[in-house]
Amino acid sequence: MSPAPRGGTRSATAGRDAKTGGRKKFFVRRRKVCRFCAEKIEYVDWKDIKLLQSFIPERGKILPRRISGTCALHQRKLQTAIKRARSIALIPYATD
Amino acid sequence: MRLYDIVALVTPDLADEDAQKVASEYRKILTDGGAEIVKDEPWGRRRLAFPILRKREAYYHYFQVSAEPAVVAETERRMKLSDQVLRHLAVRADVELKRAAKFAAKQREKAARRPPRPPAPMPPAAAPNEPPPMIEKGEPS
Repeated sequence: MSPAPRGGTRSATAGRDAKTGGRKKFFVRRRKVCRFCAEKIEYVDWKDIKLLQSFIPERGKILPRRISGTCALHQRKLQTAIKRARSIALIPYATD
Repeated sequence: MRLYDIVALVTPDLADEDAQKVASEYRKILTDGGAEIVKDEPWGRRRLAFPILRKREAYYHYFQVSAEPAVVAETERRMKLSDQVLRHLAVRADVELKRAAKFAAKQREKAARRPPRPPAPMPPAAAPNEPPPMIEKGEPS
């Protein structure tokens, strides 16, 4: 069973290589920039719910750095700010 | 003296004026202890993000005070004991603010130092920039 599909994929890739040649289509990914660095927000205020909310998706979890592009320093500050805001019910811990 | 952010969530069962009275009790504790109130903001009735003690909203009151740690500890203790305060938060604000101010100052200094530089690297930067457009022209499909 396994040899057949493998052969199929191999030929498909070979065909694609031949067809596309030099015209490889790249996804031009926009470089993510830390929002706090860009806007020069040095103090991540836990009272600024609007700002914090933008880093909290539907589920109520903290948006990971890998997605938001926040730098390590600011992610750490954002984390404490979100946790503080959560403790006084400004922001949910979890929603579903 | 340290700068603190203090927030208290007062029960919604109390009328707003009564909630303000509760807040002023804490204000009195703070000032009696020698604290200096920097900001004193009633945020008012807010919906809670999740229920606390079956309550869906609360009366928020925010203080920013410059006080000795012992005074803040005492107010926190009283808030913890009080049935009228659903929840409270007391955190230091000066450490972070100072660091932020320092960073901002450094940035400003850097920005002030920068201007003399750009004129020199500009001409060489313009020259190497010319070929790339050719490559870019070929790429978009």
